Amino acid sequence: MNVLTQFAATETEAAGGDIFSTLGIDWQLLILQIIAFLILVWLLGKFVYPWLMKSVDERQAKIEESVKAAQEAEAKAESAQEDIAAMLKEARKEAKDIVVTAKDEAAAMVADGEKKAKARADKIVKDAHEQLEKDVIAARKQLHNDTIELVALATEKVVGKAVDSKADDKLIARAVKEAE
Amino acid sequence: MFHNFAQLDLHISIAAEPVFHIGGFPVTNALLTGVVGAALTLGILFYVAGKVKRDQYNRFVGLIQWVFEGLLSQIDSVIPDKKLARRITPLAVTIFFVVLVNYWLSVIPGLESIKLNGVPLIRSLTADLNFTLGLALITVVTVQIYAVKYLSAFGNLGRYFRNPFKDPVAAFEGILEVVGEVSRGTALALRLFGNAFAGEVLLIVIAALTSYAASVTLPFFMAFELFIGFIQAYVFFILTLIFTSLAVSHEHGDDHSSDHSSADARKRAAVQTE
Repeated sequence: MNVLTQFAATETEAAGGDIFSTLGIDWQLLILQIIAFLILVWLLGKFVYPWLMKSVDERQAKIEESVKAAQEAEAKAESAQEDIAAMLKEARKEAKDIVVTAKDEAAAMVADGEKKAKARADKIVKDAHEQLEKDVIAARKQLHNDTIELVALATEKVVGKAVDSKADDKLIARAVKEAE
Repeated sequence: MFHNFAQLDLHISIAAEPVFHIGGFPVTNALLTGVVGAALTLGILFYVAGKVKRDQYNRFVGLIQWVFEGLLSQIDSVIPDKKLARRITPLAVTIFFVVLVNYWLSVIPGLESIKLNGVPLIRSLTADLNFTLGLALITVVTVQIYAVKYLSAFGNLGRYFRNPFKDPVAAFEGILEVVGEVSRGTALALRLFGNAFAGEVLLIVIAALTSYAASVTLPFFMAFELFIGFIQAYVFFILTLIFTSLAVSHEHGDDHSSDHSSADARKRAAVQTE
């Protein structure tokens, strides 16, 4: 109750003045405080905020930079991955090609070897045949000569008298030819 | 209890009371506390700026910087024009810090009990209408200055005075705009004063009511006061920004109505947070 009467008292006390003095508004104080506040704003705006703003801006720039760097790194990693994948693909393809060509080459080599071996074998066989033929011919010639000699000897023995060996030879050759 | 209460003889005055006079100039208790508040604000911010300048960081510097960064991002989001945002920053941020520090000074113990010449020595500057009205005047005038700068003097007048024969609705809107400008300034001053003054009265009354238990009950109300102080500082700060952006957003001739409504919505949202 006392509070209420006190309030009432202040009101009646101030009722004599206008609303401004009731609320305690004093033009001197008002102007002084406005000026003081403006000086405060000016001081802080001149000496404090630029530094704080600079640091905020720098931090913002740093953040943006790091975000950018991270994005770049990510892109790089991605492209590296792509590169690796492409390389792997290429390598695989190459390996495949190599294997295929190796296979082909091996097959060709085998085939070649076979062919060569066959050719050689054929040659050997052919050579052998030729040699054999030659031998046979030589043998036959030898036999022929031997026979002539033998026949000459035999004839000599039979005839008992050595005919002129030249005529002899001719005779025998004829005989042999007939006998053939 | 009631006897006790009655004997306390609570001393509550709407106006800041002069402690002494210097040649007819009244030096009020709010003014004295305000000097302390201004010195504190200056000290804190200069200390932080010096530390930041030398790239030395500690928790306190980090805290102030974090607050500053938050305020900056608020300014940027309310005022889309980057250049204007940077120019209004000193005023807006100073308002925030000064109001915050001065409001928080009201929770200093000894609000009622320390007296000089029979006048309590401590009274928050924000609980003095001279200061809040001064701040509101500065804000309103600054907004007008920026409006003139951005819309030219004629364009700024065009916000308030339109040809009633051509567009009676717009003319009426213009008159409302004049009324709104006055009411905005008054509301700005009275809102801060009302909150701060009520907060001080609340602390005094709680202290008187709970007498010896005050040491237990007061901290809760002080914490509440700290919270309200932050809110009030933020509201004053954000309203300064919104009024500025409102005044400047009339730039785009015809579609000002939509601009207006969106800005109004923002303002309303800000006021609701109060």
